Amino acid sequence: MKKITLIITLLFMVQLSKAQDSCASPTAIPGPGTYTVGVINGTAPTLFCADNGAIQQAIPGGEWYIYTPTAAHTVTVSTDITANTPRTDTRVHVYTGTCDALTCFAGDDDAGADYSSVVTFNVTAGTSYIIVFDNRWLDAAHNNGFSFRLTEAPVVVPPTLPVTYNSTSLATINSTFNICVVDVDGDHKDDIVGVSNNNLRVHYQGAGGITTPTDYPVAGTHFMPNWSMAAGDYNRDGKMDFILGAGSGLSVWKSNGTSYTNITPGDYIFCQRTNFADLNDDGNLDIFSCHDIAPNCYYLNGGGTDNALTFYQSNVTPGAMKFGTIGGNYSTLFTDFDNDGDTDVFISKCSGPPCELHRNDGNGVYTDISAIAGINVTPIQTWSSAIGDFDNDGDMDVIITASSGTHKYFRNNLDTTNTTEEAFTNITAGSGWDTNTSTNIDNVTYDFDNDGFLDVLGGGNKIMYNQHNSTFAPVSYPGLMIGAIGDLNDDGFLDILNGSTIRYATPNTNKWIKVALQGVQSNRNGIGARIEIHGAWGIQIRDIRSGEGFEFMSSLNAHFGIGQATTIDQVIIRWPSGLVDTYNNVTPNQRLLVVEGATLAASAFTNGVFSVYPNPTKDVINIQLKDNLSVTLKSAAVYDLMGRVVLTTTDLDRPINVASLATGTYILSITDSNNKNYGQKFVKE
Amino acid sequence: MKKSYLAFALCMLLTALYISCSDTDDEYVPVSPVNVDLTLVPYQKLSEYKFFEGGAMKDMVPSLNVIPYEPASSLFTDYASKKRFIWMPPGVSASFVAGNKILDFPVGTVLIKSFYYTTIQPGNVTKIIETRLMVRKEDKWHFYEYLWNDEQTDADLVSGTDFTTGGFKTITFTKPSGEEITTDYRIPSDAECFACHKINEIGTPIGVKPQNLNHSHMYGNTNKNILAKLVEQGYLDTYPANILSTVDYHDTTQPINLRLRSYLDANCSHCHQDEARCYYRPIRFPFSQTDVDSNIGICLLADEPISPTLTKVIAPGNYNKSIMHFRLSSNDESERMPLLGRTIVHDEGVQLLEEYISSLTQSCN
Repeated sequence: MKKITLIITLLFMVQLSKAQDSCASPTAIPGPGTYTVGVINGTAPTLFCADNGAIQQAIPGGEWYIYTPTAAHTVTVSTDITANTPRTDTRVHVYTGTCDALTCFAGDDDAGADYSSVVTFNVTAGTSYIIVFDNRWLDAAHNNGFSFRLTEAPVVVPPTLPVTYNSTSLATINSTFNICVVDVDGDHKDDIVGVSNNNLRVHYQGAGGITTPTDYPVAGTHFMPNWSMAAGDYNRDGKMDFILGAGSGLSVWKSNGTSYTNITPGDYIFCQRTNFADLNDDGNLDIFSCHDIAPNCYYLNGGGTDNALTFYQSNVTPGAMKFGTIGGNYSTLFTDFDNDGDTDVFISKCSGPPCELHRNDGNGVYTDISAIAGINVTPIQTWSSAIGDFDNDGDMDVIITASSGTHKYFRNNLDTTNTTEEAFTNITAGSGWDTNTSTNIDNVTYDFDNDGFLDVLGGGNKIMYNQHNSTFAPVSYPGLMIGAIGDLNDDGFLDILNGSTIRYATPNTNKWIKVALQGVQSNRNGIGARIEIHGAWGIQIRDIRSGEGFEFMSSLNAHFGIGQATTIDQVIIRWPSGLVDTYNNVTPNQRLLVVEGATLAASAFTNGVFSVYPNPTKDVINIQLKDNLSVTLKSAAVYDLMGRVVLTTTDLDRPINVASLATGTYILSITDSNNKNYGQKFVKE
Repeated sequence: MKKSYLAFALCMLLTALYISCSDTDDEYVPVSPVNVDLTLVPYQKLSEYKFFEGGAMKDMVPSLNVIPYEPASSLFTDYASKKRFIWMPPGVSASFVAGNKILDFPVGTVLIKSFYYTTIQPGNVTKIIETRLMVRKEDKWHFYEYLWNDEQTDADLVSGTDFTTGGFKTITFTKPSGEEITTDYRIPSDAECFACHKINEIGTPIGVKPQNLNHSHMYGNTNKNILAKLVEQGYLDTYPANILSTVDYHDTTQPINLRLRSYLDANCSHCHQDEARCYYRPIRFPFSQTDVDSNIGICLLADEPISPTLTKVIAPGNYNKSIMHFRLSSNDESERMPLLGRTIVHDEGVQLLEEYISSLTQSCN
């Protein structure tokens, strides 16, 4: 009895002695000064404002303080002080709010010397700030106490940045790989895609933003996207499919409308960048993978209902298309360099050989024009290049962004009035890329601040902002790393997914437009389409690409900023099929959904294979095959101009009955026995 | 039973005859059974080379003139044990180039390396997985891969698309720590062999440098310096006395920096050296170069930072903030180092690295 009482008393005392070690009972900081933190053994924080996530010690701990200034200051909390000699590897988080609803306000891990912490933030009078140090880096041997200093200084207003980011962590973004942001379900809003062993986790974006996750179990043995991930609807079921690129091969997670199936073909590929692209221009998305130590590989998509994949390796498989003859392939970027309507291929290379540019000459013929284009400079070490129209002159320029060594900025001098293949010009000197010493394996270009010019996100926790004259200047963002990019709150500004953290861009006053595509005759996602916007700025262009940069998969919606312009004269979509949709006088700040052919007159669909009559129609559509064609039509689908399937049939021996359709304009898509698709518009009266 | 008795008797008889017929001046010269016809290599079966004595081939008892060796520190490959042998045709020998350079091997040289486990579960049994050959032909080194059968009686050549694809073998074994591991052991493709075994895009052996062989090894009942043994065998012309040599990283009597540098040489230097696969990163891991802080990565900002707080290859005194430690501790294909040859973490290697980094006191600022 006595013993038990003693133990209870002891327990009570222990609790008492630790009472100030929790959020509920923090130690008050009266003002500026140096304060001693003992062994970190109080309640561990679970909300992390500084980098490096959860505490991984056997016994996670925290020491809690509260600071309520009586006037506004710029405050610095630092463990980089002489009292700590040598420095301790500390980490600090600063919250506002109440203990049951804390909000991150600031935080730091390693800004000080030798991994000490320094965090500066502006405070307002009367607000309480909770400051907590944790033992993220302090194992039992190093958890011996340290000091911190709080200083108050006159308020310093931070400089205005082109765009700022507000980070939010979502605990359910906890898949093994969280490297993909893309629309999965066909509503053209970007979703978050996670891959774990046998599980696909999607955080859909609903009306109110990112929602709770939906899990799709995927059976079977599969590779993980250790090296890269790509997305595309290669089986045209309206849901996104995925390529998971690993060091010994790739897996495809193929949607069947409501569930996913794993396909692992089994060919050895040391995958680096993977892509969906229509390599042979047949309207079906093929699968491409860079090979690290051998020539590049791809799978041709047979289309139809089974979308059979056939393996080819450049320079190895008889009859394979030519995408180089050796290894050292780190990223492919499919884009149209010569504005001839098909996608060419730029290959970023490392460990010796120069980068390659393969021109698409149609019918599966690719010609290596690296030397003519002059982009085959050595030495070069790049794992990915930033490619876009940086000077808004209507052609794609290249920044070979370095993984080691120096960056190289090449301007495209395309002149389509002649048949000469112009060389690119190296304009690195004075561009800001010559003085940028940050290197990275992953580099992508987007208009992050919506000013109408493409910027670059690469290494060094900074965005290289386009200064509108072919020069770039860095703006640092502590903690910012490259990740999957898309618009995760549909506000027209691009957000960045870094692990479980979403960095939402805080909109500035610049205007924007997003263009979402749904192909009919072309591949379903419009991958390979060129989008132009025309206005006071002249022209801006984007190509829809599955697989930018090295590792991540980012939005398939084209995103443009237009600065302070208020009107967009024209939006032009040049589909891989050759069809061209045009919108005049488009209102900014909207997501424009374009179903292939939506803006075209019925007579503009010269598919060369069939025509329909009557058009307009009240009840049936007759299909008239053109003479002397050996094409066999197999199935048909009818889409409304929102891209929804409203009718399908495989019975093409009799007229298609459209009597039940509402009055309006529709696009008829017919598939032939070679799985090629043809579009034709019709009007239902 | 009968047969082997007969063979034995015949053998004895022949031996007796031989001895009885020989002059007193003549010595009995035993003949090596090894059969390497460069025009026919690779053979379909490993047994055809006759590298191993009759009886149970799985015992890997080397035939005459097949010389075992072992580098002071060796490459970690998912806790596999290894046996290594070298064979040369009669009348040729390798030349010494430098302590830190591969011996200059004559045409006909064969390097033999078998990968096996002694703790395969269930049953805690020994199993040989594969034997890799490097054969020096007139034109270049050739890589051949042999996969042991389940009965452990022989190994079959992996050829054609099987070699261009490589493969996996699921194994369960017990680590030295006692932990049971099931992993997909990787059988390399030819491209993977070449990824590590190359200098300037030319195939090359990795471990057979004098610096790694300048230590004792048991030959029969005799402890002998491996280089001395190779000279005695006629496989090596000569070697100098003062070779800057690696140590066995297990040997705790050696200074920690020599142990770690030996470990890095064995595990990392084949890519991270001049003219090799990853020459474009500034780190240099050959033993002869890691005495320089920036070569080994101390305070060196990595070309590829892992996170805003994980930017230095080695942060003195702080392995948590050292990328080398991050990569050695990771199993993710795109994070781990070495890139090829392991799917599980080498606990003892990580521990060695932690000990090394904790011992460093340089200030980076």
